[in-house]
Amino acid sequence: MPAKSRFTRLDAFTKTVEDARIRTTSGGIVTIASLLIVFYLVWGEWSDYRRVTVHPELIVDKGRGERMEIHLNVSFPRIPCELLTLDVMDVSGEQQTGVKDGLSKVQLAPVSQGGLPISVSSLNLHGEESASHLDPDYCGNCYGAIAPPTAIKTGCCNTCEEVREAYASVSWAFGRGENVEQCEREHYSEKLDAQRGQGCRIEGGFRVNKVIGNFHIAPGRSFSNGAMHVHDLNNYLDTPDGNPHTFTHHIHHLRFGPQVPESVTQRLGAKNAMPWTNHHLNPLDQTEQLTDDPAFNYMYFVKVVSTSYLPLGWQGKNGAFGGQDDALLNDLLPVGSHGRGEDGSLETHQYSVTSHKRSLSGGSDSQEGHKERLHAKGGIPGVFFSYDISPMKVINREERTKTFAGFLTGVCAVIGGTLTVAAAIDRGVYEGATRIKKLHQR
Amino acid sequence: MNGFADRTLDEGAFGEKKGFSEGLRTFDAFPKTKPTYTRRSSTGGYTTLLLILISTILSFTELRRWYSGRETHLFSVEKGVSHELQINLDVVIPMLCSDLNINVQDASGDRILAGDLLTKDATNWRLWVERANTLERQGKDLAKEQEEDTHVGHVLGHGREKRRFKKTPRLGRGMPGTSCRVYGSLEGNKVQGDFHITARGHGYMEFGQHLDHSAFNFSHIINELSFGPLYPSLLNPLDKTYATTGANFYKYQYYLSVVPTIYTRTPSPKTPSAISPSNMLSTSSDTIITNQYAVTSQSHDVNERSVPGIFFKFDIEPILLTIREERGGLLALCVRVVNVVSGILVGGGWCYQLAGWGRDVLGGRKKGEKGGMGMLHGGNGAIEEEEE
Repeated sequence: MPAKSRFTRLDAFTKTVEDARIRTTSGGIVTIASLLIVFYLVWGEWSDYRRVTVHPELIVDKGRGERMEIHLNVSFPRIPCELLTLDVMDVSGEQQTGVKDGLSKVQLAPVSQGGLPISVSSLNLHGEESASHLDPDYCGNCYGAIAPPTAIKTGCCNTCEEVREAYASVSWAFGRGENVEQCEREHYSEKLDAQRGQGCRIEGGFRVNKVIGNFHIAPGRSFSNGAMHVHDLNNYLDTPDGNPHTFTHHIHHLRFGPQVPESVTQRLGAKNAMPWTNHHLNPLDQTEQLTDDPAFNYMYFVKVVSTSYLPLGWQGKNGAFGGQDDALLNDLLPVGSHGRGEDGSLETHQYSVTSHKRSLSGGSDSQEGHKERLHAKGGIPGVFFSYDISPMKVINREERTKTFAGFLTGVCAVIGGTLTVAAAIDRGVYEGATRIKKLHQR
Repeated sequence: MNGFADRTLDEGAFGEKKGFSEGLRTFDAFPKTKPTYTRRSSTGGYTTLLLILISTILSFTELRRWYSGRETHLFSVEKGVSHELQINLDVVIPMLCSDLNINVQDASGDRILAGDLLTKDATNWRLWVERANTLERQGKDLAKEQEEDTHVGHVLGHGREKRRFKKTPRLGRGMPGTSCRVYGSLEGNKVQGDFHITARGHGYMEFGQHLDHSAFNFSHIINELSFGPLYPSLLNPLDKTYATTGANFYKYQYYLSVVPTIYTRTPSPKTPSAISPSNMLSTSSDTIITNQYAVTSQSHDVNERSVPGIFFKFDIEPILLTIREERGGLLALCVRVVNVVSGILVGGGWCYQLAGWGRDVLGGRKKGEKGGMGMLHGGNGAIEEEEE
């Protein structure tokens, strides 16, 4: 018996003999109230446990030799497709002039006719009227220029396109192609004039090195003259009908890397309603700039920050920390599939942007209230995007805030805590009531 | 819990029904013991008092921690298309105002004639040197102040202060206005740029403008150099610093990395999507949108063919830093306090019981041992007790 009595003393849950108990109304009320509170708090714990939060981390971007995909969709209502070229240049010295792969130009009807798309002609299907109907022995004159290496027949310029290519390679301005046999046969200048009123939409994607660089959309064929990058502006500036082309543009879309799916942005947006969160958004989307001056230059200074998005089930197989092997593999994939992991992880880029515009004639910003701001003179009309890569990388990781054990602990704490405090309150009420009763009795 | 619940159910089934309050009574999960069956002890009373004290203290600290909030640093990429960046400057240079050229040249190709926008006051170098010397003595305080300025509460406090440059002290007698104080704000493009103060006729092509080389002295005292809206009391790394030189052809270069920063107290403040200086000021007093910067400086003699001067080269970082002070919800605080209090009560109760048990056990053994000793050494027991 003594051993047993020792441990019964240790009993933390002392039971009162049934006869010795008193139940009171106030106790009942407190019990019900505390139960309600407990339910409410447990529900809170549960929703906390079920919640998936996106936890942003900032690390130094350790990837190397990576490439980046730029997707764009820009409308130029006042310039025909024939005149627009997209060039990419970066500090590594790589130049992609007249980018065609993955891009398509959509001809837009003149603004007066609603500006709706006319037909899609992919850039690489350019010279529809090829020289196939010509005599097989025909060898077109290159007019003193060197035939392009891409020519159908080596050493010859059989099409207008090839003549233009040849001219560009020796940095000659081409103009409207008058007196060039090939172009007259293909009615190049007539076609050009027919397109004068049209607009153009450039859409698609292309790959660039992940180094500081710029890409621009400017009129005319571009060629490199020594260290200079020159565009053939003849056709852009000479407008016969007095309706000048301008670089009025509407950026429908510009992103670096794949788009974060709608569901994800919504989830991110719901939690972080702030304008500066890691909610992935492309700041340039739906930007519109209007001008009536043909010689006008738009610059967008873009700072690109790599961002990866790791969903809940992410295993770390590939993606976020991928090395060069991944980069090489990615190069083989078609444009548009870059950066998407099998497990739903996304490798993309966010960017911040500053826009700037100036007239090529220089002058000051006096009509905008900044007469002290003098613009540089000269340059090429066009839309320039100069991008810079940030050394930092944002990782958005989906996480559960609590583990199951944490949830259980929380529930226990809530129940225990509430009931204990309720008991204390109840006890206080009871004691108070008995005191008052005693006082009344005296 | 289950035991209690079962019992209440049983009683509800068997007990007599005497109206609403009786019915409610059956729900009482905290049956009180009849006073006649309870025993109160003074040790118990003391323990209760102690527990109450402890729980009060802990709840109080919990409350204080909640009140002071906690700072979170959030990094994100700036949203919106930005255009302009305000630059605030207050510099004193021992050269005549008319001899100075102040310009900003930036990556977009724009040149901003900052000289037209800034106020130039003729002043005397000595007036400022004295101040600079006191600054040097305050060096340590400066570091402390800078540290303080990284906290939200402090910064927001500064934000409520006057946003104006101090007036130039009046020139005393015998103090020629041979130095120049340049101060004011200007709006540049929010791109990489170079803000520089050079001598007239040097650096920019101006016809018929040439300044005698002996007049060059690019010593300077920087009272303020900041980006974004002007908060003079916020201490930036270059504020209240100075550099002096005796050479005429001397070039100071500062390389600044500007980091957009938001200090805020509200969980989701409304900010203009395109952050521009004009609407930055209109945000609530709980949010300050500003820019911090990191700086490295470098200075050296230059030969007569180069351009002497003071050059601030700045670049804008794409990552925006948000420093947010936040408080947990009131409900969470209540839950925490309740948990603390109940934990202490339950744990304390346990300890009290454990102590009682331990005392009993030990006391029992002591008694037993004593008894044993008494039995074994019956004769000695009495002596020992006497000794005690």
